[in-house]
Order: sequence, then C-alpha cells, then structure tokens
Amino acid sequence: MAAATGGGGERSSTRDRLLAALEDLELLARELIEILAISRNQKLPQPGEESQILELLIQRDGEFQELMKLAVDQGKIHHEMQLLEKVVEKRDNDIQQLQKQLKEAEHILATAVYQAKEKLKSIEKARKGAISSEEIIKYAHRISASNAVCAPLTWVPGDPRRPYPTDLEMRSGLLGQMNNPSTNGVNGHLPGDALAAGRLPDVLAPQYPWQSSDMSMNMLPPNHSNDFMLEPPGHNKENEDDVEVMSTDSSSSSSDSD
Amino acid sequence: MRKLLSNLLCGSNSYCFSRVSDDTGNRLRFQLELEFVQCLANPNYLNFLAQRGYFKDKPFVNYLKYLLYWKEPEYAKYLKYPQCLHMLELLQYEHFRKELVNAQCAKFIDEQQILHWQHYSRKRMRLQQALAEQQQQNNTSVK
Repeated sequence: MAAATGGGGERSSTRDRLLAALEDLELLARELIEILAISRNQKLPQPGEESQILELLIQRDGEFQELMKLAVDQGKIHHEMQLLEKVVEKRDNDIQQLQKQLKEAEHILATAVYQAKEKLKSIEKARKGAISSEEIIKYAHRISASNAVCAPLTWVPGDPRRPYPTDLEMRSGLLGQMNNPSTNGVNGHLPGDALAAGRLPDVLAPQYPWQSSDMSMNMLPPNHSNDFMLEPPGHNKENEDDVEVMSTDSSSSSSDSD
Repeated sequence: MRKLLSNLLCGSNSYCFSRVSDDTGNRLRFQLELEFVQCLANPNYLNFLAQRGYFKDKPFVNYLKYLLYWKEPEYAKYLKYPQCLHMLELLQYEHFRKELVNAQCAKFIDEQQILHWQHYSRKRMRLQQALAEQQQQNNTSVK
C-alpha cells in the first residue's frame, strides 16, 4: 500500500527492496540446497528446518513477485510521468511564445499610442496657433510694403532708410514726443531734446505708420508687477503730470478718438 | 534718447498706480511699449543703451524680460519691424548685452541687418537678370 502510494519517490527503496528480496531468496535457496545436500549424507538434525526454510522461501518469493508487480506499475507511472512532462514542456514553450508575441504586440501598440498622442498634441498646438491666412497675408503686406523687412528696390548705400526705426523716427514717435513737447506747449525738459525737436519739420508729425496706433486702440499691454525697482514716486509725479497733459493734448495719437 | 527710456519706465509705473484713467493709461502704455520694443531693432540704439550702462541695471533687464510678451501673436501683429523680437531674445543673454558696448559689434550687426534686408531685392534682381538674359537668347535664336 505504502509502496503503491509512494510512487516515484520510493523508487530507490523499491529497487532496494527488490534487491534485498533477491538476496534473501538467494540465501534461502543456498541454505535449502545445503540442507538438502547435508540431509543426503546425514540424518536431519532439525527436521522442521527445511520446511521453515521452504516457507521462508515461499514467503520471500511471494514478496518478490509483489515487488515485481509494483515495479512494473511504477514503471508505467514513470513512463506516463515522462509523457506528461513532455506535454508540460511543450505547453511551457507555447506559453513562452505567446508571451513573446504579446510583448511584441504591446511594444508596437505602445509606440503607436505614443505617436498618436504626439500627433494629437501637435494638432492641438497647431489649432491653438491658428491664424487666418487673410490676416497673415495682410500682415506680410504691411511689413513688406513699408520696406520694414525688405529693402526698397532703389536702395543705394547713401539712402537713409533702414530696417529699423531711425533716430529721426524714434524722436518723432510717441516716446520722443514725451521729451519734445515743443508742439504742445508743455514745459520743456532737456535743452538738448528741445533742440532736436526744433529741428523737426512739422511734416514729421508724431503719427508715424510704424506705431500702428489706429489699430492699437483696443489693445492693452499685459499687467505686470510694478516691481521693476523704478525711481521713487516723487520723481514720477512730475512726469505723470506731463504725460497726462500730453494725452489730452495730443491730436496725433488717435487713442482718444473712439 | 535717455529720457525716452526713463520716461517710459516712469510713465508705465505711474500708470500702474493710477486708478482714474486706467484704460487710457494702459492704451498709452501699450503704444509706448510698442515703440520702445521696436527701437530695439536699431543696433545703434542698443549700443547707446549699453554704453550708458542701462544693460547693467537689474530693473531694466527685468523690463526686457517683461517685454517678451510681444512674441505672442496677438501682440506681434502690431509690430512693423518684427526683427526687433530677435534682438529682444538676444538681449536676454548677458553675454550679448556685454558685447553691445563695443561699437564694432553694433556696426557689424547693423551691416548684417542691412545685407539681410537687401536679400530679397538682390534675389529679385538676379531673377530679373536671368530672365532678361534668357529673353535675349531667345531673340537671338529666333533671328
């Protein structure tokens, strides 16, 4: 029973037992033959001995037979186990193959998803920055027609025109006007600036096209923290007055005309 | 020219404080900043600012950083000289600000700007020349 349930784990003990049984049989057989040989020559000293030995022999033989059967069964089971192991191996390989394929598929999908996300991001970005082509064309026309980004065709090295606002333009702009109030009758500032202002002909009135003030009426600069660490308020007041006067007086900048 | 700058800074500060004429003040500040940022396209003006030490002034540098809002499309569309934005970007770097003290640097930038400015007209002239040559060739071959 124990042997039957033992299975593979007791194979060595089955073998040992088989060998032990064989040895026993061998011993018993030898003894029997000796006793028979002796009993031929002499009378039996112990009459029961040969029957004892015979019984033992029969018993041992019986055990041996059983063990043999057991061994055969165990052999069959072992064979089945081997078959099953092979099947298991095959299944293992299948699973590994599937795993590899799944991994590959996952990798491919991950790449695809990533690229799709990138594409979506760029679509979103493009949509955010969408500008009508008409606007772009208008802007391109503005900056080229005024020779701001493209030189005039008749430009020669003596020409005062430049791809940036020149001194003259800067002084005649709004910023320059804050210093050169000669046309508006506010208190003068530096004599140097007043001199510069004096040189300006009236033709070059502050309304210079590069300020685009007509379009900027509704535009406001972003709010910034006042923390540029500017000059103390006392200094500001004087300019504040000037600038307020400027804004009411200036007929040039159209910011007031709504 | 220096007063331009200090006026701008003072002006903008005072408009931030004033509550009464906020909208007009902001509009004016917009125009002033529009003008100023475009002045940055003038390398001679940059040289002027550098030589008078404005670029060493931390508040001024902060102001330059603040002016970067002109890169946004809704503001950039008002710029007549969009090349000023490139100069503004360069001005964010201290090395560039230091270099501008040299007059040669400003001159070099000026020359390059003018050459680039003439790029399209040169290209067009070349094309026209090529076209004229081709027409001449056609005429001679027809004859």
